[in-house]
Amino acid sequence: MINKNKSDTLRGLAFLSPNILGFLTFTIFPLAFSIVMAFSNWNLSLHNMFKEESLQWIGFDNFANLLNTDEFWKYLKNTLFFMMGIPLSIAGSLFAAMLLNSDLQVKDKKLRTHFIIVTLVIMGVSVACISGVDVSPFFYLITLLIGLFFIGGLFGGISVYRTLFYMPHFTAGVATFILWKKIFNPETGPLTQFLQPILNGIHSVAEPLPDSVFYFLMGLTYLFLGFVLYKGVNIIRKWREDEELGLGGLVLSFVFLSIPIFCIPSWIQWSNLGTALTIALFLIVFGSLLIGWNSFKTDAKSWDDGLGNAVMLSMGLMVLEFVLLGFGELMYNFPEMVAQGLNTPNWLTEYHWAKPSIMFMGFWASIGSNQMLLFLAALSAVSPELTEAAEIDGANNFQKFWNVTWPQLAPVTFFIMIMAVIHGMQGGFEVAKAMTNGGPAGATTTLEYYVYEEGFGGGRLAYASALSWILFCIIFAITLFQWRFGNRYVND
Amino acid sequence: MTNSLKSKKMSTKTPKILMPHILCVGLSLLFCLPFLWMVLTSLKSLENVASIDWWPEIFHWENYKSVFTIENLNYGRWYLNSLFIAFTVTFVQVFTSSLAAFAFSRLKWKWRDRIFLLYLSTMMVPGLILMIPNFQMMIRLGLVDSYLGMILPASFSAFGTFLLRQFMMGIPTALDEAATIDGASTWQVFWNVILPLSRPGLITLCIFTFMGNYNSFFWPLVMLKSDHQFTLPIGLLFFESSQGQQTNLLMAAITMAVVPMIVVFVTLQKHLVKGIQMGGVKG
Repeated sequence: MINKNKSDTLRGLAFLSPNILGFLTFTIFPLAFSIVMAFSNWNLSLHNMFKEESLQWIGFDNFANLLNTDEFWKYLKNTLFFMMGIPLSIAGSLFAAMLLNSDLQVKDKKLRTHFIIVTLVIMGVSVACISGVDVSPFFYLITLLIGLFFIGGLFGGISVYRTLFYMPHFTAGVATFILWKKIFNPETGPLTQFLQPILNGIHSVAEPLPDSVFYFLMGLTYLFLGFVLYKGVNIIRKWREDEELGLGGLVLSFVFLSIPIFCIPSWIQWSNLGTALTIALFLIVFGSLLIGWNSFKTDAKSWDDGLGNAVMLSMGLMVLEFVLLGFGELMYNFPEMVAQGLNTPNWLTEYHWAKPSIMFMGFWASIGSNQMLLFLAALSAVSPELTEAAEIDGANNFQKFWNVTWPQLAPVTFFIMIMAVIHGMQGGFEVAKAMTNGGPAGATTTLEYYVYEEGFGGGRLAYASALSWILFCIIFAITLFQWRFGNRYVND
Repeated sequence: MTNSLKSKKMSTKTPKILMPHILCVGLSLLFCLPFLWMVLTSLKSLENVASIDWWPEIFHWENYKSVFTIENLNYGRWYLNSLFIAFTVTFVQVFTSSLAAFAFSRLKWKWRDRIFLLYLSTMMVPGLILMIPNFQMMIRLGLVDSYLGMILPASFSAFGTFLLRQFMMGIPTALDEAATIDGASTWQVFWNVILPLSRPGLITLCIFTFMGNYNSFFWPLVMLKSDHQFTLPIGLLFFESSQGQQTNLLMAAITMAVVPMIVVFVTLQKHLVKGIQMGGVKG
């Protein structure tokens, strides 16, 4: 019997051995090595082939030094800035998945031929029209492609469109990043060539308008922002009243809601009026929270009730806040900008535009990504009986989505969000290296890039190790959060 | 009567069917535009690159040939390097992972679950942490700037083992028990029963590994020093920074770099989609 046990173990280890040898050498050993390193002062300028000073254990000094440098906080902010695109890209993925989930394949042969004939006729007519005006053959190509996609979609349904949507994500890598660098080229890139005429058009419309129009628009934006905040806080209050939201969710959602006022002044030169309005707005919101505190009291069972919901809502609101605040500020500065002439920015080489430009490319690459596939899988699991029941009860499309589909998607949305956050925390190096080299002036340097720079550029190995362990701790905390609340969320 | 009813039903249904199609076509076109610009620009002449018209006046197909003969650039070599490394890593990783997955899912032995837990727990660790010590190790081993240094660390993955183990757990044990009773050795059970049955999982892992290594950037960037050793991503970066003003040739190079990915994707997408959705749902 003992013998059999022994031979079983031997056999197991034999099958495992090729893999575990590599695993121990290239994962476990470096992992241990890296921890040790993080507490030493290993620096290639002190300890190299020519100069062998003995290594010293400096305890937590690396970590303490890191947290005291401005760079760390700046690059952390950059990383978080990039991550603000996550809710938007998830919303985009959801939209794409819902499009693909609708019944796309036309199985009725008669109807299909009908559609195809109509498409061909429309294509023919538009080609005829184009050839009359003598434009670039490029437009023939576009017409052809539209027709092809459409007919392909009629036959293949979801699989044709899914392939096309997924392509940017699948090919994303240095090759496509360099492609986008060329697209963003401020002189010869197609983006500038496309936008400049539009901006000129806006310029000619805006020039005769009095400045007050734009100030009025700014006021309108802030009013709308106030409305959004009011609605958001009201939803949170209602959750509290219904005993669905614990203290943790309440605090977190207000933290998210107030992030914009703390972040914006450090990122952009904010006008005084804008700052004052923003602060006033938040004071009103939080004041109402304090005054109406009684209605926020609740008998929710534990502090983490409804945390996932609250985080999702407040993250969404936060992004909206950023967008609205940005738009309001744009309106405030618009008259001056028009006076100077509207020009496209230098995209990647301009400090304030580099991050948004990269994020724009990120949307292109991430809308049709794994997120979309996961949503698709979850959508196909939503029971059609429920939506049909809602339809019979007279719910419109939005109500059907909001009250029936969305709650069922909550677990997968939460999972996607967490994965995206983990990915975002330790990402950004490849894009920045290929497109901007981390610049201009460190605007696109993320924490991952910082590790590369310190560890491989500067040879400060210990320091870089400490940095990567801090990153790990953040990611670990997020993962714990997911384990703790993701499961609960699924059970709800 | 029935006919008019049917046509009425059809006419009310038509916009409902068409709407998602129109949106889908619009989105597809938006996603494709950068690729379209890439291909069209790669066919332009250098003077014509900056013109607003995307359509090349004359099609310069020879751009694709001249990419291989640009001075100081070894485009063909990079291409081969990339394919060679990606294929080798995929082969070794899938092989060792399937062996390990078999040991974790089919054999019963003493420390099995503890070791598996160790594998699992390392999956959460960011690869970034391993880069610095691994690189120091490569320096000591003298493997910097070599194929072996590129292939070895990428060849053993906890993720692949996990993925295949999950897959093998889904195969009914009755099958290998029957084979054992018929006198098959453990190796025969693995090779003739389990491996053929886990084909979908193997294909998924192949795609993930191949793509991951074909596109891999951080490790090659650190490891590769001499230009004949470059892989495509590093080579393209070098191309862009040294002779990036030749936009048409650069676009031709990028087009050729993207083509293998598109081929892999279009031929194997069914497995890929399933794999991602399976992995995600199981979480």
